[in-house]
Amino acid sequence: MPLCKECKKFFPVKEDPNKGDCVQRVVDPRQAYYKAKPVGASMDASSCSSFEKK
Amino acid sequence: MAEAAVNIKELEKNQEWWRVAEQKRSKRLDYLRKAVWKKGAVGGLYAPGIKVDLERAGLFTEGYFANLNDPGMVRHAKAVANVLDNIPIFITDQAQLVGYVGSAPHTISWLIEGGSLLNEEVYNEPGIAPEPEAESLKKMAAMMDKWNGYSVQDRFIPYVLSFAAEEGVKLLSGAVGWGLPISISGYNGKDYEYILTAKRGFEDIIAEIDRRQEDMKDKARKKAGPEYLHVGSRMMNWEGMKIALQAVIRYANRYARLAKIVAENYETDPKRREELLRIAETCERVPAKPQRNLQESLQFDHFLQVVERFESGGGAWPSRPDYYHGSWYDKDVNIDKRLTKEEALDLVGEFMIRAHEVGSFFPRWTREGLQGITGTWVWTLGGVKQDGADACNDLTVAFLQAARLVRVSNPTFAFRWHPQVKDEVMRECFECIRQGLGYPSMRNDPVLITNVMHWHGHPIEEARTWVHQACMSPCPTTKHGFQPMRMASATANMAKVVEYALFNGYDPIVNMQMGPQTGDARKFKSFDELYNAWAEQLKWLMNLLTMSVNFGRVMSPEMCPRSFLSSISERCVESGQDAASPEGDRGNSWITAFTWVENIDSLAAVKKLVFDDKKYTMDQLITALEANWEGFEQMRLDFVKNAPKWGNDDDYVDDIMLKCLREAAAFSRVIKDPSGNNWPILPENVSGNIHYANIVRALPNGRRLGDALYDGGISPGPGLDKKGPTAVLKSCGKINHITDGRAFLLNQRLSPTQLSGEKGYQLWRSYMHTWADLGLDHIQFNVIDDTTLRSAQREPEKYQEVIVRVAGYSAHFVDISRKTQDNIIQRTVQGIG
Repeated sequence: MPLCKECKKFFPVKEDPNKGDCVQRVVDPRQAYYKAKPVGASMDASSCSSFEKK
Repeated sequence: MAEAAVNIKELEKNQEWWRVAEQKRSKRLDYLRKAVWKKGAVGGLYAPGIKVDLERAGLFTEGYFANLNDPGMVRHAKAVANVLDNIPIFITDQAQLVGYVGSAPHTISWLIEGGSLLNEEVYNEPGIAPEPEAESLKKMAAMMDKWNGYSVQDRFIPYVLSFAAEEGVKLLSGAVGWGLPISISGYNGKDYEYILTAKRGFEDIIAEIDRRQEDMKDKARKKAGPEYLHVGSRMMNWEGMKIALQAVIRYANRYARLAKIVAENYETDPKRREELLRIAETCERVPAKPQRNLQESLQFDHFLQVVERFESGGGAWPSRPDYYHGSWYDKDVNIDKRLTKEEALDLVGEFMIRAHEVGSFFPRWTREGLQGITGTWVWTLGGVKQDGADACNDLTVAFLQAARLVRVSNPTFAFRWHPQVKDEVMRECFECIRQGLGYPSMRNDPVLITNVMHWHGHPIEEARTWVHQACMSPCPTTKHGFQPMRMASATANMAKVVEYALFNGYDPIVNMQMGPQTGDARKFKSFDELYNAWAEQLKWLMNLLTMSVNFGRVMSPEMCPRSFLSSISERCVESGQDAASPEGDRGNSWITAFTWVENIDSLAAVKKLVFDDKKYTMDQLITALEANWEGFEQMRLDFVKNAPKWGNDDDYVDDIMLKCLREAAAFSRVIKDPSGNNWPILPENVSGNIHYANIVRALPNGRRLGDALYDGGISPGPGLDKKGPTAVLKSCGKINHITDGRAFLLNQRLSPTQLSGEKGYQLWRSYMHTWADLGLDHIQFNVIDDTTLRSAQREPEKYQEVIVRVAGYSAHFVDISRKTQDNIIQRTVQGIG
């Protein structure tokens, strides 16, 4: 089972490596941006369509 | 380059200002301006692609119910903190300022805790649920179920029913007023003197609260007595405030972290990398600590606004950006030369764009009343400092220039004119007006400072800080002066007053006896009888609305605590109270009087044609009105054309205006707000004149059910001001703009051809001198010709950026309803000079 922490887009929090941000590049019809969503390092990423193995 | 210059000149000559702006603004501003998802509803519907944000709703719900047994403000603060800690955040390419009220740029926020009336609308609004829709709807329904019995509305209604069930039903009928009389709807001001003057950051406030908690604990333990009975609730409120402040610091740090991650891992352009690292440094600094430069000051302010909208509706955006950020502009641009003027202009333009993109879900009645925009966000510029000196600075000019580059319809500006304003600043204001922005509206600072002191007893130094609370009302930005909730929820559809006087208080539109039974108007033998019925209906309506808002305010700390707003308000940090508590607040209440002038023209028409000329009887008139004038067209035209109309310097009708205003002013001293202060009226409309068109029946000014009502607070009826612009000003100048009410909105349309060149400016200056000499408090202009507006109706895709002044706000012309568009075109184009 792939975990969030194994993904290229996962950036752990220095003070607590069990937590981190999933940082993604998004391009919508009007603008492009970087988005961060808090995730747990050991969260199941098996259903994540943007998972990229480190 | 030469080709572009020629092109701009051609565009300027053709007055295609929106295309001029595209050419003149920097690439960054052009990108950011076009990147905005339009959040204002068009024709009552949200634009394709706009989705309601389920993240905020879900996280607030989760945080709230996980802490259900905590004291109110602590529970609320934890719910807000859960949102701030977990909502996805984003940084748009080229942006230098960050912070948004939703999880993605195309989302609008949803305050699910408000109640089922709003939630049902969200659920049933077509196209608004995120994809996959079925899954979202299921999630939404589950969240909504959780709030049953816990929402503000559900908890509030039993209290209302306990003493005023009938009045509650009348209010909810939608016929006589609008607005939610509870602090969750926002519309609050802020104590900017406390929070935005770089004297303190959030860490300082947390330390101050710690000291106050220790001090109160000490005192309460040492001496028993009634003065410490509230110690428990105050301690808990302070706790809630600290939780909120700490969460906002963490929220800002999340942006700092994202900016760093992008700079260090993704960005390849060294210049952009540097900008991202500056964003990171800025968000690590503010709001935890006081700001040190323009970017930090603007970012600090924007965080305040965004976080406030995570805890309330934020329908208004009271602000005075040139005053509170001006010294940082001066330091960065003029003294340290850390920024060029162009770089500063980019920041200022983006600051406006960051506000423009903010949007929340509105129920349909609000969308109809605020067509094309997301709230009445009128930012205040100019004015005087607390010592009375001119407050205009280089940033005032920068904001006016940036407005012409980004051409947003929200926020707009209002300019506090006073005799010391320099010509160069007036020219910048004029240029915005001439280029068709519809703003700034011009406000008479000496008159309004006196007005603020007169109605609510603010000391002069406090009065001089005033900002626009929403569209119009002047409210200070101080400890005892700022307004903590929407007291303007006392918003009256005033045309109902004359309607009810004519129909014995009965309303066939909602099929209810609404107002008091003031007698069968068919039997009235004199104008005085009609007038007395009118006055009784007026008092009933003023009382009905203010009663509900007073009650809502007193209940607000319990129903919907404002942990964040309280934490940035000196009065609350000092005392441990919720911001909505009236203790120590001077009030600043007013009754927004929509559709006011219909009363005046209707009363004047009856006086003239029925009681003076005896051309018709009351019986005939009521029969014609009941028939919606159908079968009585000749008679209707008589009432339109041959009865005196407001705005023509005609004492016959102008005296009726004064009599009615003074009746309201006298009663506004009888009814009191929770601070013990007065409830003056403030005649204005947003697009209430269109919203209420199908709710107000036929009137003696010749109006039929369905016709648009007049567009402004004291603006003459469209096309009915026949005697020119000076006559309009003279009529309006008969009103005492200090003692007759809170403020008075006046729309005027001027010809763009006449305002061109230096001659145009001089004509306008001269007109403004007359306006000031007559003591009017407000005026705003539409300067755009009929040809352009008609073309925009035919080919809206080519005129997306054409802006018009609707009422207390501006909107893109293509975003407002056809009826409102026609109403604007019908306004008289005044030739001045």
